[in-house]
Amino acid sequence: MKVRVDPERCQGHTLCAMRAPEVFELSDIDGHSSPVAEEVPEEQQDRVIDAVRSCPERAISVV
Amino acid sequence: MSSEQTDDGRLRPRIHFDRHAPEYRDRFEEITHDLHGRCPMAFSDTYGGHWVASGNREVATLARAADVLSNDHDVHGERRGYQGISIPAPARGRGIRGGFLEMDPPEQRAYRDALNPYLSPAAVARWIPFVDEVTRACLDERIEQGRIDFVDDLANIVPAVLTLAMMGIPLTKWELYNEPAHAGVYTPPDSPDMKRVVEAHIAMMRDLATTLHTVRAQPRPGLVDALIRLRIDGEPAPDEELLGALGLLIGGGFDTTTALTAHALEWLSEHPDDRARLGAERGPLLDSATEEFLRYFTPAPGDGRTVAEDCALAGAELKEGDRIWLSWAMANRDPQVFPDPDRIDLARTGNRHASFGLGIHRCIGSNVARTVFKRMLLHVLDRIPDYVCDPEGTIHYDTIGVIQGMRKLPATFTPGRPLGPGLDATLDMLQRGCDEHGWAKPITERKAAAKPADGENADRD
Repeated sequence: MKVRVDPERCQGHTLCAMRAPEVFELSDIDGHSSPVAEEVPEEQQDRVIDAVRSCPERAISVV
Repeated sequence: MSSEQTDDGRLRPRIHFDRHAPEYRDRFEEITHDLHGRCPMAFSDTYGGHWVASGNREVATLARAADVLSNDHDVHGERRGYQGISIPAPARGRGIRGGFLEMDPPEQRAYRDALNPYLSPAAVARWIPFVDEVTRACLDERIEQGRIDFVDDLANIVPAVLTLAMMGIPLTKWELYNEPAHAGVYTPPDSPDMKRVVEAHIAMMRDLATTLHTVRAQPRPGLVDALIRLRIDGEPAPDEELLGALGLLIGGGFDTTTALTAHALEWLSEHPDDRARLGAERGPLLDSATEEFLRYFTPAPGDGRTVAEDCALAGAELKEGDRIWLSWAMANRDPQVFPDPDRIDLARTGNRHASFGLGIHRCIGSNVARTVFKRMLLHVLDRIPDYVCDPEGTIHYDTIGVIQGMRKLPATFTPGRPLGPGLDATLDMLQRGCDEHGWAKPITERKAAAKPADGENADRD
């Protein structure tokens, strides 16, 4: 599974990092999210799917 | 529901909706689900006529359409005369632009870029020891009596003191700012008390103006300093705009978090099993419970927009100049997104609520709100876990058009012992920390926590 955060859509709600703190890191400057790595470790996949569902901006996608 | 044809031939679903009416508070769930079922985007004749978006999908679509929907409040009639985010524009603030929430990009972007390094999750996390000290002192003031008003004695104070600290305003002034920030929201325009509230508001704005001049002459770190140093096309922003932005920071920082905290504490008093579970399982539950309280109680229930060009959005034909009310509160109860939407589920997942707004104007202080709320809640659960709220003395705001807030929330509990100095001594100590260590600097200049120095408060470990 690969994860992507659309930087144009992300507004820094930070819910993804609450659900999957090991997968998403937040900018110190504005709190906007980006994946630590594109590839999601298998044991994190459920959490990432929950993060996708939690994003108010629908900014996260997985393939 | 009926439909009407406009002069230019558009057909639009028509409703009667008045969010300022007491009935809207009393019958919120019934009205919300009626709109969801019939017309999640409809036109109401109230306040000169405006669209009402209540469906989650409709609200989200509109909130992200900042290219065609404007937040501008053109108070001097210099542009297109748009009325900003309030429908109708409030009498009290007439002629004053509500800071960057009533601006469009790129101007709005410049303000947010200037303030973000003070308000990001990493920046706000530095303040946790500070918040803990203020919260401890508030509870210490009441813990021996076994009686507290959660609004007056806790939830009004902590957000106010932290907001002032982050701005770079002396902490002892919290009462000067507190009264207009809360009473200005809940006092009806025709109340005999309104004169006093207006005077308090004027005193607050005067102090903000004085602060602006003082910090400009003798810089001290904080959000005021950030706004003074802001440049748009190489030019500083006019004082009038800076005052609007400072007013927005006060308005956003004070009454909203108070409202969230009071409602959550009231609900937990009514649901002692959930309260015990939250106290015991705070590790896995605190984040999801916080987001659920945010969703369910939606302290700031909505914002207005103005259509800046003809377009079709959210199933409606919109005309330039049309006004739209985006109801975060109703979007948060849409059963298509939230199963069992009128129930509080502390472990809810996929909770993509709109309580901080959506899109580019999303609440810039959300990390402050969450942090302050969580620290206050945890202190209460740890120190007075058996509190019981008194419904007889509880006072909710009469209307929920601006803030879904509370004026009073008295409670009793088994008395305990204070852990440190009272509020005044604590604020003195914290003020020294702000002055000597520059706690209010942005995260780009200071990484360390706002931690009171060892020995200054020897009673605490």
